[in-house]
Amino acid sequence: MSWAAHQFEVYAVQAHLPKKMRGKVSFFGIFLGDFTPDFLSKFWVYGITINGKHYGAEVPHQWHRGWPGMGVTHTLFMGIVLTGAFWLWKRNRAFAIGYLLGFAAHALTDVNDSVGTILLFPFSTLNWTVQTWAYAATIEGGKYLDAAAYYSSLGLVMDLFWLVVVLVSWRCLTRDYWRTQVVVADPRVWAWFGKWLPERGLLALYRATFFYGVCRMISWSVWARLFAYPQGIPGVAGRGYPMDLSWTGPWWIVARSLPHVNPWIVMPVTLTLLGLLYVAVAKLWDPMGRAEQARRDAARPAEPAQPAAG
Amino acid sequence: MVTSASVSSPERSGVDGRGIRRLGGREEWFWYLAAAVSYIVLAIWHKFLLNWFVGPLWLVAVVVIGPALWDRMVASRTRRGRSAGAGRPRQPG
Repeated sequence: MSWAAHQFEVYAVQAHLPKKMRGKVSFFGIFLGDFTPDFLSKFWVYGITINGKHYGAEVPHQWHRGWPGMGVTHTLFMGIVLTGAFWLWKRNRAFAIGYLLGFAAHALTDVNDSVGTILLFPFSTLNWTVQTWAYAATIEGGKYLDAAAYYSSLGLVMDLFWLVVVLVSWRCLTRDYWRTQVVVADPRVWAWFGKWLPERGLLALYRATFFYGVCRMISWSVWARLFAYPQGIPGVAGRGYPMDLSWTGPWWIVARSLPHVNPWIVMPVTLTLLGLLYVAVAKLWDPMGRAEQARRDAARPAEPAQPAAG
Repeated sequence: MVTSASVSSPERSGVDGRGIRRLGGREEWFWYLAAAVSYIVLAIWHKFLLNWFVGPLWLVAVVVIGPALWDRMVASRTRRGRSAGAGRPRQPG
């Protein structure tokens, strides 16, 4: 799984919208779309332990990304279904398109770990994985071992890559950008938050996901390198998990996996799907705008006829 | 010719629509860095803080409450300084 990459990609999507959509796509839509796959599936991956009894998935990676399991939450299919349902309900183009882009970003990013996602569900239930780093969520290790493995592998490089993508587009974090591109696409939501927060709080709220991504990346990395006591790793004594930037690393954990397609075809297909998604969204943009306007016009009460003058 | 009174642009003004001070340049950096350093350091030892809810809330709280407390502290210090100055006998010139 990816960690802070999911926070950074929200801003990367926001900063790289097609030209005609700039200032018109809901940031909250992108955020919620990116948040949904793990929100629906991850709570049971680590589970909880009460009075010594563990409640959670028996095979975490199967539950999280497999079929049968909640792997369907990490598919473009699910993103399209949820977006379609929301669109039929509210006819809100800004949110629907943002939600779909955020959801797709999450599902496509997660092909990088050793489990990957069932990307072409429902046409195929095979996982699509590049196997860049080891998927390490286990019942015994829980979140701590998962974090230690991720931040000791190419997972950290993935987080840094997305961080650089956002920093290169640093203008998307400025106050002017927020005022002119973000607030205008979501005026009601920002107005609602504005009842409780001053402007500097609203701006902080916009930047908060980025802030959280940077902080969790640093915090987990520092802990894994300097403070954690690895147990049961041959040849390792004292503090700090060994760093290993080899493919499907780190070497000191068994990379979980599911039946999957040939990893060599995954990245080209993933990038093609991303391109197709952007083309589809760009094509749908104008018709959706007309449908939204038509619904708004239909909902507006008819104006009373003006009395004739004289 | 009638001209309107000069109105400061909302982008340039030092206060927002509610009359609450905006943070500029270095001061903004200071509060964001303070939030980041405090959150990272605490989270290294208290992992439960590292979640979707606490992280964003931490930043918003520091950026909203921090400068407000600072302003209040500076204002009360200034008031105290003035009242102390007013009570002191005037020195002969």
